[in-house]
Amino acid sequence: MNNAHIEVQNLSKTYRVPQRQSGLGAALRSLARREYTEVTAVSHLSFTIQPGEMVGFIGPNGAGKTTTLKMLAGLLHPTGGTAVIDGYIPWERQPDYLRRISMVLGNKSQMLWDIPPLDTFHVLGEIYGLDKTAWQQTVDELTAVLQMEDLLTKPVRNLSLGERMKCELVAALLHRPSVLFLDEPTLGLDVSMQRRLRQFIADTNRRTGATMILTSHYMADVAELCPRVILIHHGRLLYDGLLGQLSDQLAPFKLIRLTLDRDNGSADWRERLPEGTAVLNPDPANLTLRVPRRETSAITAYLLNTLPVVDLSVENPPLEAVIDQIYQEAAV
Amino acid sequence: MNHNHQGGLALIRATWLSWMQHRSFFFILAFGWMMQPLIFMFVWATAAGDQTIGGLTRGEIVAYYLTLILVNQITYSQTNWTVGDLIRGGDMNRLLLLPMSPLYNTLASELAGKVVYLTFVLPIVLLLTLLLKPAFNLTAVSLFAFLPALLLAWLLRFLWGYALALLAFWAARADALLAVQDALVFLLAGQAAPTLLLPPLLRTLAVILPFRYMVGFPAEVLTGQLNGTQLTAGFVAQIGWLAVTLLLYQVMWRRGVRQYTAVGG
Amino acid sequence: MMHLRLIRAFISASAQEEAAYRANFYISLLHSLLNFATGLLGLGIIYGQVQTIQGWDYASALAVLGVYLTVSALRGLMMGPSLDALAGMDGEVWRGAFDFTLLRPVRTQFLVSVRKWRLFALFDLLLGLLVLGTAVTRLNHTLSLYHIAAFLLALAAGLLALYAILLAAASLVFWDPGLMVGWVFDSVFQMARYPVGLYPGWLRLVLTWIIPVGFITSIPAAALSEGLSWELLGVSLAFALVLAAGASWLFRAGLRRYASASS
Repeated sequence: MNNAHIEVQNLSKTYRVPQRQSGLGAALRSLARREYTEVTAVSHLSFTIQPGEMVGFIGPNGAGKTTTLKMLAGLLHPTGGTAVIDGYIPWERQPDYLRRISMVLGNKSQMLWDIPPLDTFHVLGEIYGLDKTAWQQTVDELTAVLQMEDLLTKPVRNLSLGERMKCELVAALLHRPSVLFLDEPTLGLDVSMQRRLRQFIADTNRRTGATMILTSHYMADVAELCPRVILIHHGRLLYDGLLGQLSDQLAPFKLIRLTLDRDNGSADWRERLPEGTAVLNPDPANLTLRVPRRETSAITAYLLNTLPVVDLSVENPPLEAVIDQIYQEAAV
Repeated sequence: MNHNHQGGLALIRATWLSWMQHRSFFFILAFGWMMQPLIFMFVWATAAGDQTIGGLTRGEIVAYYLTLILVNQITYSQTNWTVGDLIRGGDMNRLLLLPMSPLYNTLASELAGKVVYLTFVLPIVLLLTLLLKPAFNLTAVSLFAFLPALLLAWLLRFLWGYALALLAFWAARADALLAVQDALVFLLAGQAAPTLLLPPLLRTLAVILPFRYMVGFPAEVLTGQLNGTQLTAGFVAQIGWLAVTLLLYQVMWRRGVRQYTAVGG
Repeated sequence: MMHLRLIRAFISASAQEEAAYRANFYISLLHSLLNFATGLLGLGIIYGQVQTIQGWDYASALAVLGVYLTVSALRGLMMGPSLDALAGMDGEVWRGAFDFTLLRPVRTQFLVSVRKWRLFALFDLLLGLLVLGTAVTRLNHTLSLYHIAAFLLALAAGLLALYAILLAAASLVFWDPGLMVGWVFDSVFQMARYPVGLYPGWLRLVLTWIIPVGFITSIPAAALSEGLSWELLGVSLAFALVLAAGASWLFRAGLRRYASASS
């Protein structure tokens, strides 16, 4: 019995981008036979998500997070692989499936601009065919939790960014979806609003038991909300597991902290370091070195032999540094 | 009738234009502006058939309208729509800081626009000339008088529109007046019919009011629809209206800027 | 049933949106009246000089103008605003908000076709019906039931054809947002203000069957002024259905393209 809520296997998406060459001749030739370059956005992604789980998609810009999310929401057709959510294949776009999911896009709005949020909620209620009392109950409940009763009757264009995001969340949750896709929900919000929305999302996850997938650029969002992360890089799955263990597995280096004996010939420590070590903190009382992960033990032994070491510890680098390193590689 | 232009010009401001082929955008606007005279050319030409209407043959009607399309394109000042936006949007402040009248700024973009539009309209008019066999009865007088009539028509239409657009200094939706103006131009400036074919009341209005002298008059001059007296009277009216408009512009501009700076734009 | 409730919700939301811009009311009023007046006067000027053109007398040309104003009003009531909200200058596809529309558990074509209403167009509709009514009283025959039924069917065919053209033009946004086929069509649609008979023969054919703007107004008007044969009526309906099917196919192809190419 397989009771996974979301099951993704070998999901792939390749865009065909027409190749444009300059010059009239090339343009005419391309009319006859267009040449395409293939751009791989997502490649052989596989994972399963249990009901009620909250998973963070992380990865640098262009890694394929949003593409993956859109395929799961049925907005994009994959070029390969399968996905089954709640027993449905997303891109078949069956109404019953669409009624079960919802999406929040941090940089786009589904609110009608010139009228109060309550009226947009009305329209959404009709679109999802919601029963009047159930609708009213959901609206009351959500607006009470978000403390936004006074916003309901103001035109959306007069609301602040944070207030608008509250409305977006209500709009997305009106039909009580069992799967919620959150794409950068805290984009552009100030820190305190970010914290409050995060709290709300966590509460909603607990209360409704909806499965949630979140992408965010703010590591704080992911760290606070998602015990489990899926790191996507160049469209491939790089890591799937607990956030706390990510740096363990992925950091290509380790940190060695040393305390040297000052009185006992440590003045030329710098010359005696082996190749491949980088000095992060040059204070001999708290020397910090970054060394390649695979050579950690060899270098440790070497250091213990050649330097007057009083104290030595090996650590994983902090999460932010690892992520930053991976993201930077992506930029190259 | 004017929704296209209005919408189109609002777009230019919104930098929308930058990510599409500019030229095709201008062409579509120009195509829209050609439509009215084209429709009435076909209608009148069909109505004339093998006979004449009000003394005009089919060929003469076609000649008149093809000229009118060109004159209309040359004299149409699309910037009139943007001046009001400049004022409302507060961008006029920037222009007022420059050591020259903002009129020149408008004039410059006006000229640039005309070149673009004409690269589209001219070939079409030439093609229609080949297809529809217009009868141009060109004389030395009509040729000689056409250019000054055209130049005066353009100045008049440009300044008149500019003066109206300056109403935006006082009223938020002054561009509504431009819509009324376009309707009057359609009826009285020779688009719906050559002035000759208008019913008496409208004809009298057309001769008195300035609109005919912005579009229709040069076309009438070139296609030789006017006798000597009518020609002279036309030029007198054209110059007279230009003087009045110039005065109007001066007054509006001075008062407008005073009003604008007083409320702080 | 659910679709009707949905439409009612859209109308009420649109009415509120419209009310948010009350200042535009007078501008809209002015534009409507100018459009009405220039149309009538233009026709008046022509028929001040001639009695009939190619068999179209003043009353029958007035009927065409009436149909034109009526059809334009119905277009402005719902089809125009809805499809503009999809593919127009500030439309969803431009803003990237189309994803939300795709997420709805309702047929997308239905949704994009009915969700924005401009109730002011009801005033335009009134003006159009007024002209149409005037035209009918000036016809020198009384209308039989067949005339009226044929007129309504031809009008429905015309509206369906107009909807198909607008939908097809809007669908092109999925290929190239810079294409402004809709604008070009708008310009050509002006020609439908007058009977196709007022244009030269080659143009008449183009306007009836190729860019069928004349089809949309002249055939219903002819149903009133001279009556339509069963054959022409049947062909008209079939033609409109073919256009609608084609447009729907193009829209679905556009959706498929969006689903495979958007990022």
